[in-house]
Amino acid sequence: MSFQNLLLPPSFFQWCEATFIGHWIKYSRWDFAILETMHIIGITLLIGSTLVVDLRLLGVGNRTLSTKQLSDELEPWTRVALGFTIATGVPMFLSEAVRMGLNGPFLFKMILLIFALLIHFTIRRRAIRPGMEDGILFGRVVACLSLISWLSVALAGRAIAFFMTLNGSSPG
Amino acid sequence: MHLLPFVQWLNETPWSVFLRENDWTFALIETVHILGLGLSVGTILWVDFRLVGLTMTRYSASEVINQIEPWAIKGFIVMFVSGLLLLFAEPEKCYTRTSFRLKALLLILAGFNILYFNKRVRSTLREHDQDVILPWRAQAVGYLSMGLWLGIIICGRWMAYF
Repeated sequence: MSFQNLLLPPSFFQWCEATFIGHWIKYSRWDFAILETMHIIGITLLIGSTLVVDLRLLGVGNRTLSTKQLSDELEPWTRVALGFTIATGVPMFLSEAVRMGLNGPFLFKMILLIFALLIHFTIRRRAIRPGMEDGILFGRVVACLSLISWLSVALAGRAIAFFMTLNGSSPG
Repeated sequence: MHLLPFVQWLNETPWSVFLRENDWTFALIETVHILGLGLSVGTILWVDFRLVGLTMTRYSASEVINQIEPWAIKGFIVMFVSGLLLLFAEPEKCYTRTSFRLKALLLILAGFNILYFNKRVRSTLREHDQDVILPWRAQAVGYLSMGLWLGIIICGRWMAYF
C-alpha cells in the first residue's frame, strides 16, 4: 500500500523529483542530510512542546501554571516547530518522491500527520480552554490521543528508511 | 590507554553482533533513542528557555525548573540506556568515528554544565525567581545547554558519515 498504488500516478512523483528543489537536493551531497538533521531538531521541539502541555492535561505535569497559561506559552513554539518540520520535510520528499510514492510507511505517516493535526487543532484546543477543570476525563483522553498521534507520526517516519533497506535500496 | 583492541574484542562478542546484525533489535533501540529526544532535550529546552528569558518569564524560574526536572530526568535515562546499547552494538564504529568522539565530549561538557548549574547557580535563583532577566551565570548555563544539545544531536546524525 502506497500513494502510487492507491492514489496518485507515477508521473506525479516524477514531476516532483524534477522540480528545481527536488533535483537540487537529490544530486547534492549533503543537503538531504542537513535537511534531515533540521527535521529531527524540529521534531524534538514539536514533541517537547506538545508533551509538556499534554502532561499537564493528564494531571502529572507542571503545577504552577494553568493548562491554558502553559499552552499560551508553548503553543507558539509548537507552531514554529511544525512549520520548521514541514518546511524541511517537503524538500526531502521532493528529492525522493519516486521512492516515497512506493513507500508504505510514508503513506501512513502522511495519514497519521493529518490525524495528529486534526486532533491538535480541534479537540485539544477545546480541552485547553479556560474554565476547563483540571484532570477531567476529556482532558486526559485528549492528551493520550495527542501523544499517541505524534508518536505514531514519528514512528512511521522512522519506518520509512527501514522499509527502504528491507527492500534493498539504501535511504538517501 | 590503548582501547582499540578492547573495542575490537567487544565488537565481536555475541551480544554485540546480535544487537548489530539483527534487523529488529538495532532499529528498535535506535528508534527509542531518537524518539527519546522529545522527552529529554524536548523538556530540558524549557528550562533553558526560562534561564535565558525566552519563555514562561512571568513565572517563577525555580518552579518551572523543579517541575520540568522529573520528566527531563526520565528522558535522559531513556537516552542513556538506549545510547549505551547502541554503543555496545557498534563499539568499533563509534570508537573510530570522529563525530562520535565529538558527541561524547559534548555530552561530558553538558554533564558538567548540569552539575555546575545544580551546585552554583540553582540556589541563587530564589532571589531572582520573578525576574525576566536572570543572573548572567544562569543565562550562560541556558545558552550553553542549548548549544551543547544542538551539537550533540547534529553529531549523532552525522555519525552515519564521519
